[in-house]
Amino acid sequence: MFKDLDPILHSQLRLAVMSLLIGVKEAEFTFIKEKTGSTAGNLSVQISKLKEAGYVDVVKQFKDNYPQTICKITPQGVTAFEAYVKALQTYLPK
Amino acid sequence: MEDKQLTEQESLQLIQQMISRAKNNFVDTGIGPILWGAVISFCSIVQFLIIHFQWHLPFDVWILALVAIIPQIFISVQERKERRAKGWDDDIMNYVWLCFGVGVFIVNFLNNVAADAFNPLLNDYREITGKENIPNFWSYGSSYLLFVYGYPTIITGAARKFRLMTIGGIVCWVSALVSAFTITKFDFLLMAVSAALAWLIPGIVLRKNYLKGKNTQHV
Repeated sequence: MFKDLDPILHSQLRLAVMSLLIGVKEAEFTFIKEKTGSTAGNLSVQISKLKEAGYVDVVKQFKDNYPQTICKITPQGVTAFEAYVKALQTYLPK
Repeated sequence: MEDKQLTEQESLQLIQQMISRAKNNFVDTGIGPILWGAVISFCSIVQFLIIHFQWHLPFDVWILALVAIIPQIFISVQERKERRAKGWDDDIMNYVWLCFGVGVFIVNFLNNVAADAFNPLLNDYREITGKENIPNFWSYGSSYLLFVYGYPTIITGAARKFRLMTIGGIVCWVSALVSAFTITKFDFLLMAVSAALAWLIPGIVLRKNYLKGKNTQHV
């Protein structure tokens, strides 16, 4: 039986961000932008949606007098990501 | 990358691709392992030459290892600045190498205390018995150090799936065992080879990968 896919994660950029963050403890906004090849504006919007869903934590701070945004996956985000991958597996041909 | 809906196959491919990109995030510049591999190999070879040719240097060559801490601090600060993502095991690795530094200090300290305690006794024994071929404490001191060298090297190599470094760490342990049966001057040759295989050569490989990754980013 096919399971419903989480609509928050079932979008290209948001899934890319979550897949990156699952592999690291935390990452700077610029790192995610570079690895996903997205524009700053679009990435910012998608990260905000993930934050609203409680899947990522966003910390804004200053480093060497420059603004720095750090993103980190939350335990809720890890659970959602795992559930998404499990649901995805039900769609694969056996 | 756009915000488009994905098919199930595309989702899986994207997950694999992104996890792999996060993994290939080369943050180790390789300078640290190159520095320590070069310094320890150099000091060990000089120590071998000192014993073999009975040279008398006006200073202890191992002071270089202490001096190397200064550039290492700058390297660590610079690497921390460059790092834009923190891996799950980064903190653990930092603690492993911090414990290694403290461990080397403790082993050296204990070796010196033990050498001061036992070597006069061995010298007396040598004078009384007339037997010249009695090993001094330092015949075994380098074995302990080589053992300590192997520990963090194997852990780092295994954790980062960097086989060359794991092999280097194993060479340190094998050298530790072999050095128990070799005379002191050859212990230092073993130490030079071990440091080169554990840190210098893996460091050069890390450096190449780091520069390759950096150049790819700028294309």
